[in-house]
Amino acid sequence: MRRFALLLWTAAVALLALIAATSPARAQTEIALTIEKNRFAPEEIKVKAGAPFVLVITNKDKTPEELDMQQPRIEKVIPAGKTVRLRMPALKAGKYPFVGEYHSDTAKATIVAE
Amino acid sequence: MGATFVVTLREAFEASLILGIVYTYLDKIHARDQYRYVTAGGVLGLLASVGLGVVVGFLSGPLLDLGPDLIAAAVIFFAVGLLTWHAWWMQQHARAIRGQVQHRIDEARRTQRLWIVALIAFVGVFREGAETVLFLWGLMAQATSSSGWVNVVGGVAGVGTAAALGWTIFRGGVRLSLPRFFAITTVLIMLLAAGLFSGGVGRLQGLGFLPLTDPLWDTSWLLSDRSVAGSFLGGLVGYRAQPSGFEVGAYLLYLVAAGFLLFGHLFAAPLTNGEPAAPREPVAREQSTRPS
Repeated sequence: MRRFALLLWTAAVALLALIAATSPARAQTEIALTIEKNRFAPEEIKVKAGAPFVLVITNKDKTPEELDMQQPRIEKVIPAGKTVRLRMPALKAGKYPFVGEYHSDTAKATIVAE
Repeated sequence: MGATFVVTLREAFEASLILGIVYTYLDKIHARDQYRYVTAGGVLGLLASVGLGVVVGFLSGPLLDLGPDLIAAAVIFFAVGLLTWHAWWMQQHARAIRGQVQHRIDEARRTQRLWIVALIAFVGVFREGAETVLFLWGLMAQATSSSGWVNVVGGVAGVGTAAALGWTIFRGGVRLSLPRFFAITTVLIMLLAAGLFSGGVGRLQGLGFLPLTDPLWDTSWLLSDRSVAGSFLGGLVGYRAQPSGFEVGAYLLYLVAAGFLLFGHLFAAPLTNGEPAAPREPVAREQSTRPS
């Protein structure tokens, strides 16, 4: 049991260290994304491949939304009426579709990295 | 209605699976009177989910940008640790349980710390709880028309179905013999935890804490993550239609490490008819010192 406790703590500390080491405040391209009437706008977002960027997501609806991307795996809740800055990793050239999980029939968009 | 049903079914299935396992576990070690530990853990997990759901609405700035993600990632790895711990503990006792079942069960009840079971229930519910709460909350806020209410019904029915599935597993588990139950549960927990671990690594990649790797394959045409079957497999064994290289690696790494930890003894020592823990038993000692 003690071995496991030690293992858990080590893992927790390692995780924190990793976060501290990889979170420098860098100036990055910011791209605005709006959620309104359970849809994303724009529905196609062009970004530069190989460069990290920040999605500044504003939810204008009265209900929360969850941005859900399969790969890379991203799940981000945007509460009603809030703006969230979502730091995106550098993407290889390609298409990255995502949905608003809470309204996945209407809230669909794609990031195109070129 | 169908869409909201699938969302809550998916979110609540894992929690219900974990609750089913720990309730059945207590039943198997004849500790039904300790159900309250699991219930309390589950209820606290639900309260914490509602609390987080409310708090998220009041956060802003960096706390909102990164806070919930860090909590989510931490909870995943914490859950993996707890589940592995529990499986390891069960294996230790499964090895000892042969023969004097009742005696061993009493011993199990004494030595297993029940707060760990409570913690597992808490984490199981809390992990996806806040998301489910926010989702249902949003549905209700939008339920001004009859179609809106149909969505609410779908969402609630999803949670209910997930709970019913957990209950079914629970009923099925009760009938098994104790060693068989321990063995099956250990494997089930291993697969569940491997899926969680791999998902956690995927989250770290998405957060930029680990480098991105390409998806190894894409089976969304065959079984999408968002389908009912895909959701079940996702909760049960960590199925993903497009897993990244790191996610697959993490899954295998966990299985090998946990397999070694939990089942290593099967290969390390040749199986004898005696039980490994026998020398420590007073009865066994008497027998061994008796002149033959």
